[in-house]
Amino acid sequence: MSKEAVITVDSLVKKYGDLAAVNGVSFTVNRGEVFSFVGPNGAGKTTTVEILVCLRNLTAGKAKVLGFDVSDRKGQQQIRKRVGVLPQDFNTFDLLTVKENLSYYKKMYDGGMDINELIRLVDLEDKTKTLYKNLSGGLKKRLAIAIALVNDPEVIFLDEPTTGLDPKARRDVWDLIEGLRQQEKTIFLTTHYMDEAEVLSDRVVIISYGKIIADGTPSELILKHGGKTTLIVEEGGTEAHNILRKKFPDSKLENNDVLVPINNKSDLPEAVMTLNGNKTKFAELIVRRPNLEDVFLNLTGKKIVDGELS
Amino acid sequence: MGGALRVWFRSKHTLFWTFAFPLLLMLLFGAIFSVSEDPSFDLYVQNQDIIGGDPSPFSATFVDMLNETPVLNIKMVDPAENTAEYIDEKGVERLLLIPEGFHQSCLTSNASIVLKMVPVEVDTSSATVRGIVEQIVEIFNTVTTGESPPEVVKIESESLVSENYRFIDFFVPGLIGMTLMTTGIFGAIGWNTRNRELGILKKLATTPLSKLEWIIGVVLFELVMCAVSTVVILTVGVLVFDLRVLPNIYSIILIAAGAITFPGIGMVIARFVKETDSADAAANAVSFPMMFLSGSFFPLEMMPEFLREIAKVLPLTYLNNGLRDSMVYGNASSALYNTAIVLAVGIVFIIIGSLITNWRED
Repeated sequence: MSKEAVITVDSLVKKYGDLAAVNGVSFTVNRGEVFSFVGPNGAGKTTTVEILVCLRNLTAGKAKVLGFDVSDRKGQQQIRKRVGVLPQDFNTFDLLTVKENLSYYKKMYDGGMDINELIRLVDLEDKTKTLYKNLSGGLKKRLAIAIALVNDPEVIFLDEPTTGLDPKARRDVWDLIEGLRQQEKTIFLTTHYMDEAEVLSDRVVIISYGKIIADGTPSELILKHGGKTTLIVEEGGTEAHNILRKKFPDSKLENNDVLVPINNKSDLPEAVMTLNGNKTKFAELIVRRPNLEDVFLNLTGKKIVDGELS
Repeated sequence: MGGALRVWFRSKHTLFWTFAFPLLLMLLFGAIFSVSEDPSFDLYVQNQDIIGGDPSPFSATFVDMLNETPVLNIKMVDPAENTAEYIDEKGVERLLLIPEGFHQSCLTSNASIVLKMVPVEVDTSSATVRGIVEQIVEIFNTVTTGESPPEVVKIESESLVSENYRFIDFFVPGLIGMTLMTTGIFGAIGWNTRNRELGILKKLATTPLSKLEWIIGVVLFELVMCAVSTVVILTVGVLVFDLRVLPNIYSIILIAAGAITFPGIGMVIARFVKETDSADAAANAVSFPMMFLSGSFFPLEMMPEFLREIAKVLPLTYLNNGLRDSMVYGNASSALYNTAIVLAVGIVFIIIGSLITNWRED
């Protein structure tokens, strides 16, 4: 994969009065990577995207997309031609069909993708003549992503593309993004779903209260900030806890489950053998690896639930 | 119920427009109908009975009596002016002509004056003015000949409209004007507000499309809608009411000018309307006062002076006047004058709209 930087952001600040929605953010996005900007609602994700796609003016700092300064009028014209954007909460014309909607937005550009090819790409071939208002939530989102692709963009900004979708529709959108990654499109994704960022991203930046708190590949972040793998002894209760804590003093009892931190390779078989040797009763054994949710929890002390900090 | 009320109450724009509209209407109609001053009517007077460089004695007396009538606003026309050309050029709707030889004819009780007016179907105030002039003539007859006067002066009436038009023929141009305004303003505000709410405006702002291109696109779309509306009105008028006035080239140009002006105004208003709920209220708040103040339904002379002054700055006034000039009176120069004003207003509003439309975020 090429390491050519297509987005560079340096000490970006966006203020509304005294409130800094984005406060000194710096990062780089390389060509061909799926880059996720992760954080709770109000963290500054959408504000950053809207500055990068020339929808908002920045207060301080510098930002370039495809080498063009977002504050420069001529640069903005070039950026608009060469990026594709799915704004947050975007809906299109209710009374136009899938194909008519795509044709409408394609007229805003010179050239771009063939509409039929685009419809095939997002798997809406059997819905070509369906009105937008009659599509399900997932299909509407697929069409919205297709609209972001009409100009065959070099960089695609997807702002919260799966918010409000059911799990099946979310998976469909993930597949679509995965397909775009295989075409080596550069994708700038914002999301508050940690699992989404972990599955889809080559690189993740976590933002909270307008500041970047972590930057790296998902595995790097998990390794660095995620904590340890945990063996969960479901419904083990006090009996299992008492037995296990003799060998694993860090183990905890939570809601009748015993949580055993795995510090090295031998810990896992040893814990299982200890349980078997004592014929301890439990419902199930689960090995839980740390994920980006743990990273966020460990870095901020808070979880993200439905986009909000809790 | 409680939820709906809270939503309504918390939408500041809806709240504003919901109250602004009825308040504007109340103030408007209150001003029109509670006017304490008597209405006054313009009457152009051309005295052609000149003797030795001065108006003849009887004609001068008659003009003095006209001048002493407070409800008439007498505007004297130079006797040397060509009456027909003057009427066309100035868009005169009422002219009283005192012909040469008036004085001599009074002496033989055989005088006449000519009252040229637009028909009552066009302007109901024509009937009022004719009644006032008849009273003045009666007094003039009494003053000049004694208590039981023979009929010294007769009134000859002439219509300023050559064709024998009916009410529908005079009504349709005003209806077209009103339709152009409502279609343009409601269409532009509704389209803009709805698309902003859906996120379509934000999406378009990320494309190479410029604000001006977007506004011109909306205006051209409304132009097509206006053309369709006009064709429907005229077709129904001809088929159902045997309409006799039809658009000529001047009225077509004016209709096109109106069809781009009102969407332009709508785009400017749309800048200040945030929610779809308040779009109709905002459009009503602007279009209804304009409808009533532009002479679409009430003769402007019925209104107090300050409302007549307001009417002079409303583009619908010029659209209505221009359409009647071109379709009813066949007065091309006046129609073109009105077209130029409507078009200029449209261009100004489109430019303002492109400057203030909230295309990007702050």
